[in-house]
Amino acid sequence: MYTFKGGTHVREYKNTDSAPIERMPAPPTVAIPMSQHIGAPCRPVVKPWDHVDYGQLIGEVEQGLGCPVHASVSGTVKKIETRLSAQGNPVEVVILENDGLYTKSDRIKPFPKPLEEATPDEIVEVIRSAGISGMGGATFPTYAKLKGAIGKADTLIINCAECEPFITANHRMMLEHPERIIDGTRVLMQALGLKRALIGVEDNKPDAIALLREKAPTYIKICTLKTKYPQGDERQLMYALLGKELPTGKLPADIGCVIFNAETVAAIWHAFFNGTPLCKRVVTVDGDCVGRPANVKVPLGTSYRDLIEYCGGLIKQPERIINGGPMMGNAQWDFNASITKGSSSILALSHEFCQKGHSSLPSACIRCGRCVKNCPMHLMPNMLVNFAMRRRWDDAAAYHVMSCVECGTCSYNCPGGMQIVQHIRVAKATIRAAQTAARMREAALEKEKKGEVASSERK
Amino acid sequence: MNENEKITPVDGDFYGGLLTVTPSPHIKHTDTTTRVMVDVLIALAPAFIWGIIVFGLNAFLMPLIAVAASVFFEFAVQKLLHKPVTVGDCSAAVTGLLLGFNLPANDSYFLPVVGAAFAIVVVKQLFGGIGKNFVNPALAARVFLFLSWPTKMAAYPAAFDRTVVDAVASATPRAGGEVELLDLFLGKCGGSIGEISTLLLLVGGVYLLLRRVITWHIPVAYLGTVALITFLFPQGGGFFDLTFMLTELCSGGLVLGAVFMATDYVTSPVTAKGRLIFGVGCGLLTVFFRYFGAYPEGVSFAILVMNCLVWYIDKLTRPRVFGGARHGK
Repeated sequence: MYTFKGGTHVREYKNTDSAPIERMPAPPTVAIPMSQHIGAPCRPVVKPWDHVDYGQLIGEVEQGLGCPVHASVSGTVKKIETRLSAQGNPVEVVILENDGLYTKSDRIKPFPKPLEEATPDEIVEVIRSAGISGMGGATFPTYAKLKGAIGKADTLIINCAECEPFITANHRMMLEHPERIIDGTRVLMQALGLKRALIGVEDNKPDAIALLREKAPTYIKICTLKTKYPQGDERQLMYALLGKELPTGKLPADIGCVIFNAETVAAIWHAFFNGTPLCKRVVTVDGDCVGRPANVKVPLGTSYRDLIEYCGGLIKQPERIINGGPMMGNAQWDFNASITKGSSSILALSHEFCQKGHSSLPSACIRCGRCVKNCPMHLMPNMLVNFAMRRRWDDAAAYHVMSCVECGTCSYNCPGGMQIVQHIRVAKATIRAAQTAARMREAALEKEKKGEVASSERK
Repeated sequence: MNENEKITPVDGDFYGGLLTVTPSPHIKHTDTTTRVMVDVLIALAPAFIWGIIVFGLNAFLMPLIAVAASVFFEFAVQKLLHKPVTVGDCSAAVTGLLLGFNLPANDSYFLPVVGAAFAIVVVKQLFGGIGKNFVNPALAARVFLFLSWPTKMAAYPAAFDRTVVDAVASATPRAGGEVELLDLFLGKCGGSIGEISTLLLLVGGVYLLLRRVITWHIPVAYLGTVALITFLFPQGGGFFDLTFMLTELCSGGLVLGAVFMATDYVTSPVTAKGRLIFGVGCGLLTVFFRYFGAYPEGVSFAILVMNCLVWYIDKLTRPRVFGGARHGK
């Protein structure tokens, strides 16, 4: 059994672990944001009234890091408008009217050669053009991660920990389509030139572990992880499986590792063996306000409202709608927002559920030390929150506030009800802004100096 | 977040209600400050009941007055200073009960009132309320009373002796009274109200450990240090005296101090390593004060001194950040 130091066993709420993945019929309209990933937003390549087929490219990356976006239904482009993304940034959204015909784009065809003959560059291109980004929530473009790891990484890890409460999408995927995860892993191994891979699964999914062990070839090792949050964080995962600590400021590839989420791997399988771009994803819909909690395969761009309606609608007033898991997900303000590539779950939680007996007494740190004991990054959140509240940014930096991964373990355990993570976010943002300002000032000074030199030379 | 900001459904259309946008995480553990404090009260209950059985009505009244006065003073100060009233978190009640535990079961009813005033007003609220005091309020109040009214604070009635109502001091084990070791462990002896039954205090400690309110570090380090030194170097000279060691462990409120006072969150270190250092320090000082001090006991002083070092211990035992180098900027 593999595990790491720190972390906490968060109550699991895996209500949907026996709910098979359902295919939701596509809604009459879908709204597809042009930015569903880290990196530059896409430029729409369709115009209103254009006809689009399922899987057709509708947003292309102009330059830099990014993922192309594809139509998740066939039909007509109704309009292109600017909305706010799940993170609160303005983003262009292509609204498609579903014609219900599901005419497939002719670009959907499997990779022409067998896997053994595919070159790393070809596989990277397949993944890039399929628009695959990390589907665990961080939404880093997968092709870029893979490209950066080729030649550097000697260990491939598939992250099936699924440590966030409520979410069972990966669990169901492993149970229903283990071959997709295994064959998707083989595609990645081919690209990376590796002979072995590790799949890490938390021990609260024994059925998935048994099934994967039965199906997997010997060169893919299934590792049982202790159920503990945040086991699915790549730092903790690498430490648990390999005993390697990721040094501050480094990427996993720097210590020879590359990690992909289970559903990302399934998307890679689809892209390679079927040629299907990333147009759908499995979403766990749950929370005490949802009528029929379920795992649903949803076309990207479906609104939260349509999805919740499909899952029995709301049975009471939710206080929060959360895109992602309850520990790290974002609270949303609009039921019309869209499911994107990073939406692993949609939760509708009531006020009572979120408060969990925490009264309206003012929050105060009683120095119980639970945040220190449970911090997976071995920080002292009690000190950080203190420094942040007193605007002592230098002290916060000296206590390594920038190493915080914002997993939420401290806030979850805090008996005083302190919003520790939020205070830390403020400290991080302030310090980052100060650093940027200092860099810009320095650059300006440098420029000025050079300019002076140049002008004096001219004289 | 507040109760009065709750959203109400608009004619059953749950999509129409306002959504709250709050930072993650969106779920919480069920343990709250109130729950923690109630757990401490539960853990103190057996020893309290035993104190009432041994000493009678006054052992019930003194802690009760201390609790009532503590809650009252907390309420009064917060009202006066226009601060939110937080008596609901039960922390004042815990302070009051611990203060009551440290009092003799006599009829000096002003002691708990003055003690509570000192603990809550001076030690706790003047420094900013819950979480901000740097020494344990109950212990500071005990020492304050002890130095101000030494005779009244030392007027211990004898165990199971209801004839002595007035303040006639009977010798406690620490003040030279002869008590069988087993009676000492069970609590059939004189002493302050809550300190006598080592057994029941340990039961409370086990409850706190099981409920994960406290960790093992401080009690084990504290009791272990005292046990080790008193076993190796008994006060009377010689070496390896098991009876002396056990007597030292079971007397003078050591277990009450080690399990309930030294583990007070606010005035103990937050790191595991720091808690071990803190416990060892308390142990060393306790033995030191007992062997060489002017007073028969040293637990209160030892813990108060260590309380003042907590900030430094915390700084000293900062964990190494995951993936980071050793300390330094």
